[in-house]
Amino acid sequence: MGKSDDAVAAIVSRHAQEDGVVDLEAEFRASNIQEVLDTLDRELIGLMPIKTRIREIAALLLVERLRKQFALTSETPTLHMCFTGNPGTGKTTVAMRMGEILKRLGYVREGHLVTVTRDDLVGQYIGHTAPKTKEVIKKAMGGVLFIDEAYYLYKPENERDYGAESIEILLQIMENHRDDLVVILAGYKDKMDQFFMSNPGMRSRIAHHLDFPDYSADELMAITKLMLADQSYRLSPEAERALAEYVPLRMALPHFANARSIRNALDRARLRHANRLFAARSQALTRSDLMTIEAADIRASRVFREGTPDGVPAAVGLVTGQGDLR
Amino acid sequence: MGKFETNIDAKPRYSAGVIPYKKMGYWEPDYRPKDTDVIALFRITPQEGVDPEEAAAAVAGESSTATWTVVWTDRLTACELYRAKAYRVDPVPNTGAGTAIDAQYFAYIAYDLDLFEPGSIANLTASIIGNVFGFKAVKALRLEDMRLPVAYLKTFQGPATGIVVERERLDKFGRPLLGATTKPKLGLSGRNYGRVVYEALKGGLDFVKDDENINSQPFMHWRDRFLYCMEAVNRASAATGEVKGHYLNVTAGTMDEMIERADFAKNLGSAIVMIDLVIGYTAIQSMAKWARNHDMILHLHRAGNSTYSRQKNHGMNFRVICKWMRMAGVDHIHAGTVVGKLEGDPLMIKGFYDTLRETRTEMSLEHGLFFDQDWASLNKVMPVASGGIHAGQMHQLIHYLGEDVVLQFGGGTIGHPDGIQAGAIANRVALETMILARNEGRDYLKEGPEILEAAAKWCSPLRAALETWKDITFNYASTDTADFVPTATASV
Amino acid sequence: MMTNHGNRVTQGQFSFLPDLSDEQITAQIKYALKNGWAVNVEYTDDPHPRNTYWEMFGMPMFDLKDPAGILMEINHCRETFPNHYVRVTAFDSTRGWESPRMSFIVNRPDKEPGFRLVREERGGRSMGYTIAPYAADRPEGERY
Repeated sequence: MGKSDDAVAAIVSRHAQEDGVVDLEAEFRASNIQEVLDTLDRELIGLMPIKTRIREIAALLLVERLRKQFALTSETPTLHMCFTGNPGTGKTTVAMRMGEILKRLGYVREGHLVTVTRDDLVGQYIGHTAPKTKEVIKKAMGGVLFIDEAYYLYKPENERDYGAESIEILLQIMENHRDDLVVILAGYKDKMDQFFMSNPGMRSRIAHHLDFPDYSADELMAITKLMLADQSYRLSPEAERALAEYVPLRMALPHFANARSIRNALDRARLRHANRLFAARSQALTRSDLMTIEAADIRASRVFREGTPDGVPAAVGLVTGQGDLR
Repeated sequence: MGKFETNIDAKPRYSAGVIPYKKMGYWEPDYRPKDTDVIALFRITPQEGVDPEEAAAAVAGESSTATWTVVWTDRLTACELYRAKAYRVDPVPNTGAGTAIDAQYFAYIAYDLDLFEPGSIANLTASIIGNVFGFKAVKALRLEDMRLPVAYLKTFQGPATGIVVERERLDKFGRPLLGATTKPKLGLSGRNYGRVVYEALKGGLDFVKDDENINSQPFMHWRDRFLYCMEAVNRASAATGEVKGHYLNVTAGTMDEMIERADFAKNLGSAIVMIDLVIGYTAIQSMAKWARNHDMILHLHRAGNSTYSRQKNHGMNFRVICKWMRMAGVDHIHAGTVVGKLEGDPLMIKGFYDTLRETRTEMSLEHGLFFDQDWASLNKVMPVASGGIHAGQMHQLIHYLGEDVVLQFGGGTIGHPDGIQAGAIANRVALETMILARNEGRDYLKEGPEILEAAAKWCSPLRAALETWKDITFNYASTDTADFVPTATASV
Repeated sequence: MMTNHGNRVTQGQFSFLPDLSDEQITAQIKYALKNGWAVNVEYTDDPHPRNTYWEMFGMPMFDLKDPAGILMEINHCRETFPNHYVRVTAFDSTRGWESPRMSFIVNRPDKEPGFRLVREERGGRSMGYTIAPYAADRPEGERY
């Protein structure tokens, strides 16, 4: 609703009266979507196919809105989406921006993002699941419900699993409350494909499938620099060379999670940087010392020494399945 | 403990004779009030030739320890502590040279907490407004505001019930309450009087009220009134499914008589009793304790207050009465309407309402609030707007007075051409439709008349009310206005 | 039958107005959410004016951004209890309030028989009064 909507309505009705012509460029500017797209460009390195898709979807929704104002269509379009891709490829960030775009186009009222997993939706005993799922749905209404690893809602090996109840409720809401809520299902592509095969009802309610590619090594280097700059760190030339070696090594290892693995690697490098400075605490420090990550801070990683990821022993990592170890 | 700081040389100060108050230690421009000090702000009009600081010191002296001459017995006490201290004197804008008004000054005077007995308005007022108002050194004197320290407020019970619990007891939320005063004020028999109460409550009001001078007269003794009114209240409650009430005025000649009347009201099942300001501060505090002990709401009519609050140069501002009454413990107090027939500048009335209803009020000179005031969790008092208001002003009433207020439409209910019930319906429909519109985010102040017209299309009692009172306004300049706005705000 | 205005129980903020539409209810809930109040849906078949504790239809809804979820619960409650009184209450948790700030009825029985007034004559001319809903003569759940 709001001002921009009224303004658009005014433009459209005026054009409709005059000669049935509408200025799409003016519409686009009035909606302020470009601002969101620019933010997305700044926030996320690369991801060109995704950014193109987002732009396409925005254009479609803008045109759809105009068609509605010319009474060429009356239905609210299905807006539910599916984001597939490996961890750390920017799905949550894009979902957040998608909420803003939908709000600016008037398809949702608030545009906030509520992120959940199976545990937030499915209960432990009879009668527990419906209120839990509804609670989440009510919180997400007016915005976007982002269900991460949505396929865990469905456990074919256990026909009594309460996840099915949650799926039922979600399906109903996705159909009957299209004006109130947009659902985005997210997770690995292969698992999501299997999920859709067993749940054709869910598949039929998804309008847009977006597949997030893994980052290239060059893109990951660019992401690294962006993250470091945000935290007022920088790499010495030697450290940069070390990192350039580190990235492809890490990508080849199991449980690689794109940007998230890079963030974790940097966290550990900062830790080593601090420890190195502390060990040499008798010497005076400069501002530059406090900012600069050296090659040693990178090369101490187990990725170089043992060929396993840092942080958790490999065996434990498999059990927890958390963070970049997934 | 260190000695109380002083810069007064004892020898000249305490030799027998008469010396200026200023020199006696009642003027201390460097004094910084403690958090526990009571502060009073007086508007002083000094006699010709009296220096304003001396006048302020004299007021400080006369309202605390001083007498007209030096007494050696001061020296047997920690007199430096007990002396009130005038510490600031500001000229009042738009008075003195170049204006038609004698020069006036705002004098800030601080009193140590130990000057006052805990939990006694009588004791507080005996100091602050005791002798000093007849003092010859000032031509006129007005108590404008007070800062009551938290430590002192904690010695008072505060409102017996308060806005929150009153609403919970009545099960009425989110809108002003509606009331009416039974008219004619005097002369109805108990039986006829109860008829008015029944009709108004069944029609849709929440409360009906005795007037301030309805006590126990030859035409209607108090027990008759109570019996018939409670029949009316209960009949109306059964007819609507709502909690209803009638403020039974228990004002009487003695405290014993008042308690007897209040007990009778309680035993008949009334939710509320009423007293008049003229019964005095001690009686009010006693009734507040009684009300707290008997789960009763206590309504106060400010009868008599305009004798000292209306003129700007002498007496006391009503906001001080609001503060004292919140401490004394009443639940309702008449505090002005802005738009009705009685005195009331919109900015000043906002100051009164904030003083009664907020948990904390900030200094705001345009609203006449001279100090930050923390209310130390004393309950909130429900202001009552009464006198010459009608349904056609609903948008203005809600805009100026908010939703925590009792709107009393006496004539505006009983004077309705189609009868009392129709009058009550008109008021209730006007109220609910305006609250609905306000909550929907409409500019209800501007669109008020259209909003009422729209409701009048399906509600004929409202249509008749709007038609009857459409031209009624009371457009007189207010006498009690803020000193700190460029122009006085007109009554609406 | 009740003989007051509207022939109905007039508890709540808006009982003197025509029944609120879903759009009007949504606007009121929006106002509550804007103020940061939690909204609760309650129902009863005992409309006694001092029946404080109506049954809760689920827990009060905290931290919601949008009224649609609450309207969904209201409609769910109205479908489940079509002949009960259903009210919407908004709670304010700020210091100095900690109490309901709004309360309005969104569903009521088709026929509202009202209340019986029982008088108990006491000493002198005093009277004791008791109010009871006619419907409450029947057991809970079978009243309307």
